[in-house]
Amino acid sequence: MFWVRRSLLVGASSRINAVRELYRKFANENTRETRGLRLLRDWLSPDQREQLDNSGYFEVCGCASRKRYRIYHVRFAPNVYEIDGVGRLKVGVCFLPTGPLVTGDVMLAQKIALETDEHRAIAVANRFSPTGDLPRWLAREAISGRSRMDAMNRRISG
Amino acid sequence: MATQIVVDHTGHTRHCFNPNDAQALASAERRFMELTGRGFTAAVRNGPGEITKVQSFDPTAEETLFFPRLVGG
Repeated sequence: MFWVRRSLLVGASSRINAVRELYRKFANENTRETRGLRLLRDWLSPDQREQLDNSGYFEVCGCASRKRYRIYHVRFAPNVYEIDGVGRLKVGVCFLPTGPLVTGDVMLAQKIALETDEHRAIAVANRFSPTGDLPRWLAREAISGRSRMDAMNRRISG
Repeated sequence: MATQIVVDHTGHTRHCFNPNDAQALASAERRFMELTGRGFTAAVRNGPGEITKVQSFDPTAEETLFFPRLVGG
């Protein structure tokens, strides 16, 4: 009798743990940040998605000037840079949508703006020179952005 | 099913509607007018990574994304 009661308790406990684990996983996959990143990935071209996964940034082509811009996956602006033919940062262009938005949504808005209405995006943007330690800082931050992407991919596939 | 995706503080909000339902279509058009009237940009996805900015409601668009007005950072 005691053994039966004990095994029932153990079974209930493992079920509770399983439900708790399932809830934790569900909650992880539905955070604001994760939802934003998932939306961004859905709207990227396959090349841009691969670039984001491998490098922590992706590149877009301005619809009017055909200039190339790099959008870094970092939490805070400035994260958009015009790049030259060999991929060096030329000038920073700082613009973003208003409101408390998550990183993925901000990056998606920046991509769409540059690809569909470059003049308007550049008109509102503040421009600055990427000097000093900024490129190094961006590379470091983008790598941690890559880690976040890897973690999200593991959660989605896991 | 067509979808309007509004980027907001929650990550985004999806509004799904049946484009063959006249009432749902009218409601989607009202949402489009209201958001663009508030300065949101509307964009339609035509294919993988191919996006077009739209100025007026497209009843045939499968997926339309709205994001708030851009400002300098």
